[in-house]
Amino acid sequence: MDSKQYVLAARKNLSKLDLSSLRKYAVMFILAVLMILFSFASPYFLTLRNLTNIIIQNTYFVIVAVGLSFVMMGGGIDLSVGYQMSLVGVVTAMGMMVYHLPVWLAVLIGIILGTILGLINGLIVTSIKIFPLIATLATATVFQGISYIISKANTFRGYPEIFLFLTKAKVLGIPFDVLLALVVVIIVSIIYYETVFGFRLIALGGNEEASRLSGINTRRMKITIYTICGFFTALATMVMISKANTTNSSFGPGTEFIALTAAIVGGVSFMGGEGNIPSLVAGVFLLAVLGNGMQLAGWGTYAQFIVRGIILLGAVAFDEYQRNAKRKVRAKACDEAEVTNLTEA
Amino acid sequence: MDAEHIIEMKGICKRFGGVQALRNVDLELRRGEIMGIVGDNGAGKSTLMKILSGAYLADEGEIYIDGQKAHIHNPQDAFNLGISMIYQDLALFDNLDVARNIFIGRELVRGPFKVFMDKKRMYRRAEEVIRDLRVDIKSPKLNVARMSGGQRQMVACARATAFKSKVLIMDEPTAALGVTEASKLLELIRNLKEMELSILLITQRIPDILAIADRVFVLKGGQRQDILDVSQVCLDDVVTMIVKGKGRDENKTPKVEYKSFG
Repeated sequence: MDSKQYVLAARKNLSKLDLSSLRKYAVMFILAVLMILFSFASPYFLTLRNLTNIIIQNTYFVIVAVGLSFVMMGGGIDLSVGYQMSLVGVVTAMGMMVYHLPVWLAVLIGIILGTILGLINGLIVTSIKIFPLIATLATATVFQGISYIISKANTFRGYPEIFLFLTKAKVLGIPFDVLLALVVVIIVSIIYYETVFGFRLIALGGNEEASRLSGINTRRMKITIYTICGFFTALATMVMISKANTTNSSFGPGTEFIALTAAIVGGVSFMGGEGNIPSLVAGVFLLAVLGNGMQLAGWGTYAQFIVRGIILLGAVAFDEYQRNAKRKVRAKACDEAEVTNLTEA
Repeated sequence: MDAEHIIEMKGICKRFGGVQALRNVDLELRRGEIMGIVGDNGAGKSTLMKILSGAYLADEGEIYIDGQKAHIHNPQDAFNLGISMIYQDLALFDNLDVARNIFIGRELVRGPFKVFMDKKRMYRRAEEVIRDLRVDIKSPKLNVARMSGGQRQMVACARATAFKSKVLIMDEPTAALGVTEASKLLELIRNLKEMELSILLITQRIPDILAIADRVFVLKGGQRQDILDVSQVCLDDVVTMIVKGKGRDENKTPKVEYKSFG
């Protein structure tokens, strides 16, 4: 009897070891450690100017990552976001520079176009039932091709002042695009944690078949999340080209990698159903601080790519490890029930 | 239609490619009874129940609920008509807690546009449901991933009872459970009957049915064999019916008598 109780107690303690809560703060912890490390490596790192720069340079990554998190939470993936940006960017720029449309109209066309690109991804993923990884890899190439055909590989620069407002203006001393990213983060947090849609999205990512049996229209949900992703990607594009004050078809590609890595580092599960927005944002800044710090410390620009790749691998490995750990916890719970029954009997 | 029957299925046929899974099956479920659904593997038990729950569409046949003709095209339709099904693979969400598993797809909402969840009310209601069922789940905030098979079945039951379902379909609920957990669950099912639910119970464990069911419905090769009154039969009668069918295949008696199925 005593030994049985001991076993029970030991098992209970084991199952308390839950990595998901640890993970929630892990990314913020790593971010803090990195910042301390770089402040020793370079005297310029921990200056207000440099830190402000990091934030300002990464607002559009935050917006893309947040958009992508909708798809990833629902158990999908969108590799085409960078190429959507390429296409939306040149169309918006040409609207302003070549066709001399009013700025608001060019921006509106760009946003609508981006939303439609997302919708197309959603329709393809749900109607031809193939891996979203492959489906969006294919649409990415298509979007890139269209982008180059439309732009004829030209570069467009020198936008109207009103368009530059997006990144140059300040409200209450805060750059407008920082404010925009903040608003996006807050609204999306509310969607995730307070609305029926957010709740069902997390459920969809957790168990698609069970979602269907619970009466949720899973196909419509999936189309919606790709469309939302397209919308936010287009919004981020506006910030990107306004910040650069120039664009061509090569602007955008590569963003998908950073957004994807940031999302996974930030605890959005590659398999869906898990994640939280504060960690996601921390994930974006983890990559940003890494790039900035390495450069200031004189470790070269190209080494960043190697480190980013390793970080992505590490994050996915951790995600997988955590999944397996959960499965074991579940098996343990069954054992525990058996032991309880034994002791009761 | 006589209102004695809460569910009537008439002439149900279902084909999967070249396989005729169900052939002209009739089923009548009385109000407030527990009916066992038995048959060998591939007899069509799950298919028949999935048609009632809206997971499959029948090729032919009609369904009457309380004497009214019902049109069930998807799980939501069935749910709106008061029919809930607990699937064999449970259809629970490992990444969600108990309350969320109960309310998924039927969330309690607040606000003028009904987009916001009323979490407070959901957790309070979940707690009430768990308490009424008298099951050993300590809090609606527990994650189901960490629960045993029996507790997961109870969460699934809570899901059905939280919404005043009239008919509950359970697909082999005791299949993966140990003896103690299984008997706890059977007790719970009997409690559910007292809560005025009519229950359809698919199982391979005939003793379960003899213990709690009122009647037992036997399927063989996608055809209805008979409905037996549990109080008037024993294990052998049911097993014989499952293996041989009603009056047919008399000479195809298997060489080894296998009686328990349990």
